Amino acid sequence: MKEEQIHENEQAAAPVTSRATVLLGVTGTVDSAIVQPCLQEIGPVLNARVIVAAPNLAEATENDVHFRSYPLTAGRPENLPWVNASFAQRAICSLAAEVQADVCVLLHGDLILLNADVLPLFIQPVLEKRCDVVLPVYAAGKFDGLLNHGILAPLARALFGQRVRYPLPLDFSCSAEMCAKFTAPHPAHDPNADEILWPATIAAVAGKQVCQVNVDASHGRQTDGIELRTALASLVGSAFIEMEKYASFWQRIRGSRATPVTGHAVKQASESDGIDVKPLIDSFLLGARNLQEIWGPVLPPVTLFELKRLSRAPLEEFRMPDELWVRILYDFALAHRLRSISRSHLLGALTPLYLGWVASYVQEAANLSPFAAEQRLEQLARAYEENKPYLLRRWRWPDRFNP
Amino acid sequence: MSTPTVQQARTKRLGSATDPLWYKDAIIYELHVRAFQDSNNDGIGDFPGLIEKLDYLQDLGVTCLWLLPFFPSPLRDDGYDISDYLTVHPNYGTLDDFKRFLQETHDRGMQVMIELVINHTSDQHPWFQRARRAPAGSPERDFYVWSDTDQKYKEARIIFTDTEKSNWTWDPVAQAYYWHRFFSHQPDLNYDNPLVMEEVLKILRYWLDMGVDALRLDAIPYIVEREGTNCENLPETHAAIKKIRAAMDEGYANRMILAEANQWPTDVRPYFGDGDECHMAFHFPLMPRIYMALRQEDRLPITEIMAQTPEIPENCQWGLFLRNHDELTLEMVTDDERDYMYLAYSADPRMRINIGIRRRLAPLVDNNRRRIELLNSILFSFPGTPIIYYGDEIGMGDNIYLGDRNGVRTPMQWTADRNAGFSRANPAQLYSPVIMDPVWGYQAINVEAQRSDASSLLNWMRNMIALRKLFPVFGRGTLKFLPSANRKVLSYLRQSDGQSVLCLANLSRFPQPVLLDLSEFEGMVPVEMLGYVEFPPITKAPYSLTLGAYEFLWFELQSALTSQDSDESGPENALIEIGNENDWHAILTGMNLEKLRSLVFPEFIARQRWFGGKAKQIRSVTVTDWAIFDEGRSAYLVTAVKYDSGEEESYFVPLTMVFGEVAEAVRTTREMAIVAPIRSASREGLLCDAFVSESASQALLDLIRTGGSVQSVSGTIRGIASSILPTILAAGEATPAAHPSLAEQSNSSIIFGGSMIMKCFRRHEPGPNPDTEISRFLTERTGFRSIAPFGGAIEYARNDEAPSTLAMLQGFVMNDGDGWKWTLEKLDGYYKFCANESNESEISRFIRDDYFPASAELGRVTAEMHRALASGKDNPDFAPETMQTQEVEELCKGLAEHAAHTLEMLKANLGLLPEDALELGGVVAGRRRRILGRLHSLMSIQSPITRTRIHGDYHLGQVLRIQAGFVVLDFEGEPARSLAERRKKQPPLKDVAGMLRSFSYAAWSALSRYVLQTHAENQQMEQWAKLWIRLVSDEFLKTYLAEMNCDSLLPKKDLNLVLDAYLLDKALYELGYELNNRPDWVRIPLMGIVSLLS
Repeated sequence: MKEEQIHENEQAAAPVTSRATVLLGVTGTVDSAIVQPCLQEIGPVLNARVIVAAPNLAEATENDVHFRSYPLTAGRPENLPWVNASFAQRAICSLAAEVQADVCVLLHGDLILLNADVLPLFIQPVLEKRCDVVLPVYAAGKFDGLLNHGILAPLARALFGQRVRYPLPLDFSCSAEMCAKFTAPHPAHDPNADEILWPATIAAVAGKQVCQVNVDASHGRQTDGIELRTALASLVGSAFIEMEKYASFWQRIRGSRATPVTGHAVKQASESDGIDVKPLIDSFLLGARNLQEIWGPVLPPVTLFELKRLSRAPLEEFRMPDELWVRILYDFALAHRLRSISRSHLLGALTPLYLGWVASYVQEAANLSPFAAEQRLEQLARAYEENKPYLLRRWRWPDRFNP
Repeated sequence: MSTPTVQQARTKRLGSATDPLWYKDAIIYELHVRAFQDSNNDGIGDFPGLIEKLDYLQDLGVTCLWLLPFFPSPLRDDGYDISDYLTVHPNYGTLDDFKRFLQETHDRGMQVMIELVINHTSDQHPWFQRARRAPAGSPERDFYVWSDTDQKYKEARIIFTDTEKSNWTWDPVAQAYYWHRFFSHQPDLNYDNPLVMEEVLKILRYWLDMGVDALRLDAIPYIVEREGTNCENLPETHAAIKKIRAAMDEGYANRMILAEANQWPTDVRPYFGDGDECHMAFHFPLMPRIYMALRQEDRLPITEIMAQTPEIPENCQWGLFLRNHDELTLEMVTDDERDYMYLAYSADPRMRINIGIRRRLAPLVDNNRRRIELLNSILFSFPGTPIIYYGDEIGMGDNIYLGDRNGVRTPMQWTADRNAGFSRANPAQLYSPVIMDPVWGYQAINVEAQRSDASSLLNWMRNMIALRKLFPVFGRGTLKFLPSANRKVLSYLRQSDGQSVLCLANLSRFPQPVLLDLSEFEGMVPVEMLGYVEFPPITKAPYSLTLGAYEFLWFELQSALTSQDSDESGPENALIEIGNENDWHAILTGMNLEKLRSLVFPEFIARQRWFGGKAKQIRSVTVTDWAIFDEGRSAYLVTAVKYDSGEEESYFVPLTMVFGEVAEAVRTTREMAIVAPIRSASREGLLCDAFVSESASQALLDLIRTGGSVQSVSGTIRGIASSILPTILAAGEATPAAHPSLAEQSNSSIIFGGSMIMKCFRRHEPGPNPDTEISRFLTERTGFRSIAPFGGAIEYARNDEAPSTLAMLQGFVMNDGDGWKWTLEKLDGYYKFCANESNESEISRFIRDDYFPASAELGRVTAEMHRALASGKDNPDFAPETMQTQEVEELCKGLAEHAAHTLEMLKANLGLLPEDALELGGVVAGRRRRILGRLHSLMSIQSPITRTRIHGDYHLGQVLRIQAGFVVLDFEGEPARSLAERRKKQPPLKDVAGMLRSFSYAAWSALSRYVLQTHAENQQMEQWAKLWIRLVSDEFLKTYLAEMNCDSLLPKKDLNLVLDAYLLDKALYELGYELNNRPDWVRIPLMGIVSLLS
């Protein structure tokens, strides 16, 4: 994957505007004692007024860093983690407007990106007006983040034309202008859908520059302890809603462009355990037997035919071609928009198909080096782009009488 | 007595629009609450019922609901006679119901527009009741326009001509005449009285405070009267509207005023002011002209009125509609046009009212679905905001037997149930009967039925609305008509913010062609919007399209997708990046493989000499199988080349990776062999053809020598050694160095030392390769020694396919070059001689001395070869056979088809021929019948024809000159033919024809070269070329026939007929080959064909 690299010596040389205001917002509770040492290191480099905000953080000023809390009314413990994170991110962005921050850095509560090497990479591009939004490229093994790599990232790339590895990050930074856009009210929001913030999408629609930073860190599986069906419905459902919201924008986007990346290339994480694909394939087969009522109206005959063939394949030959998977996703997106089936049932019916894709990918990638696996996912991303005309045709003229 | 006034509303709610220009992108839906849905079963539609149907409207995709008047009223003019502006008629619910409706509509992201009927009130309005009793000249009296006589404002026309005889009516209470532009029960308000405006503004604020998004100013041109004028569009009217607008802007964001001004476009223009009056105005004159254009099948009515339509301020918008609650007004057309429209669209006088036609859309166009779609396509694509009249989305009909305009205001048809699902009341109780005839009735046309019919008008409208909403250019873009000779086609361009959309509408009931000048968009690609289908790119030439009956097309004009669009530009993007060197998995999977498939291989293969598909456009090259060899440094690849048209072909493409100095050397000396740059973790190199690599070549030799095998992903690659390989090996060096042959060939060759040559067959087809098969047969089964001895082969077998030959090893034969090159040198000398000699006898003698021995030797070797090939009588692959009549017929047919195909190719490429071949090309193309006739004459031969295995592609290039003789090479057959065809047994005369043609080829080729070098006189030299060809050919043939010695292999009689047919076939084959591979050489076969025909 070719991505533009900004030479490292450029990063240190650029001076920062004097006394800019940087808001570091943490989307979870935090102890100021943990934050302070890191800020002491980077403070002189930034030469900026730093405000740290977290829920329930006592107001204080220590060593020229101001600590304060922000109100977090919408997040609830029973919400999914990324939903709560989105609520917190919006609250932080509102606070950024209030304190007139020039840069707003949003960090996950585990603070893995709070270190002196990484934080400036999120701040300086925005201060220097090179970027409006800076997103992380997390370290990941070849079987990590498959919901992101298999659906969210390539879908966002094909729709909005930006090659962003993690369009739904738990950490990112942005300019004041983008903070305002992130907090703008959403007309005609679907009350049944989770209000997830998609910073890359909003930046793309607004025509703003997005950059990425390699970070040799990972938050771990955010879906641990959450039923896959629920996670899929939330994340993919939200992605589909964004699709509907910005349809008149992505209709005109063709191809995609690389986004600049800074930071050292992430070492490919090695996989310690293999993945047993049998349960995944079993789920797929169960879906194939029991979900024809939903798959039938959503998927065209040629796709149903391919799935039928796939369900008869021996385990070791179970391969879901990229084109098949991408078209399934696109047809589900269209069905989601048309509301011909209850959205919750629809997204539930996507789960076994997704597991089928995962099984296929795992089997293919099992013997690939991390680098080759990455390229395999790049191939998938290109399949999303190449099949965009398929989506466009069906989106513009939904007609069941198609191949 | 104080003037009763409006109580000020105390709270303010926001409208639901956030964009100040929301109305430019809106889709407005006009409905009457009374007609939409009845919730309390009193036979009259109401607000609670309307709320029940909001989901339907949201699903349809409309964004703004325009409600016809729902205020208290005597209902003598369907609610436009208002008796109380500040509440809701009890028939339709309560004010709270309206507020709830407003909230529910806003919650669904839609806006609400209501009527502000301020030209007149009902005579039952308290204001009028007060006015008629108030003293003359008092403020209360002056709420309306009074006169002692009915003679004032004589120039004002009567609008409701069917019912009113005057704009004045006598009021016995007031003892005066009052002014009314509409019905007599609708007295006009007097805007010269400032109190009137005060009250109007209070009414406006009242509804806007509630959150209403837009107001339609009904009958606005008539609000002010002045003596000596027509009392329409007066300056004072505009001043009044400006006040209304100012009041709206002062207190309310993102609201809109829509003017109902049924006027000529230039007269409507002032209602926009300088963007400070009405935001929108209906384009009344356009609407009847759309119908006129449709009926006349002529775009002129539309283009003319649009030409008269002035520019409007940036923040303003036209409102477009096909039908509404009123009659299809014919006020703004000429008398002749009106007469035509009456005749065209209202044959029954009952259909006419006032100055218009009271019919719905679908009945107006005879319920023709295509016409309905066409008109809606114009509605959705013309500059303005489309307004859909309720029921037209399902093609509702009308009832011309109802009075006034009530025929187009019947209940909405929801289902096939009682009362069309509109109400559960007793049918007699309905405010209006439902439409119930067999064609338009609710049983046939209703929402429920159309919802379940994917092909219904309702679904079509929904899709069109959704499509329109995707493209802001329709609501906000400019309009430019594109001229074309065919007036039945309306073509126009909509442009905005860098987006261009081309729209076409065929107004005719028959298909129509259209040629458009789109040269300003040269290079762009029209993409049909509904199906996202790419049409051919635009050039400077007129763009030709054909539209079916009543068809419309919308095209996005997109720039051709450049490599910039997907970041594919530059040589860097051909770069293959891998982690470790020799990591073929990394190259042949993932992004690298995709890069190879779509970008790198097509470019590499297209420029290779051995690639036979140069006349076709490569779409992609897929790796179908591969295996590693050469200790991991190289890989065998079998690829599938897919073309834009035609069958895919398989090619063998062994590759190797080279780095460092080796890569530099390849870059310098073998650039054509480079596939792509490659970068590993530590250094850069090249991915290139394996034959540049010594180790790869040796690995191939070893495979044959050892008889080894390699497993590929889907098959096996196996080496086979011949019985004489040890002899061949012994004759050469122990470790012969390998180097690729640089000769121009259809395959690739490696020479090992001076003793062996390995030919790699690039085009891969399952089945025995004839070169290998014949070489092996001749070497191991016959005494024919005028060939390169067969040393072995590399075979590839995949799954259950027949094995194919990837490479063949032969003993190297010391030679003086191939026969072609040798002959050309001879001819060079010949032409030099001819340049100084004009005596034909001397020249003939030169030929005899110089070339006859070679020619005769060739004849002898050819005969010996044919006898050897026919000697395998026990081998079914080699035993000679007599052709049956049917086979002769098939032979003729095959030759004729090949000829026809080649002639078609010639015709298609005439424009691409070099200049010196143009005339000849035309001559040959024009002699199709004669050519086919010559080939068909084979049918008439008497003697039996024998067929055997033959060389198949016999010519001077296929023989090597050795000392005093020749060695035959390359039994592969004609490269363009399929494997099966090349293995077919054929009459030996085919080879003879090949060699004879080769003499001709050589002579002309050498002459071209000679003339180019010496600038000799061409015509004279051509004569000597023909002489040489004739004499040499005769000598060759004479010797051949003598050697064959009446062998049964040749036809006893009709030999010339057969030979001539094959000569023509060969020349045509050459023509096809050169058209595909070497267009500059095409003159040679063309001359040959012309010569043969003459």
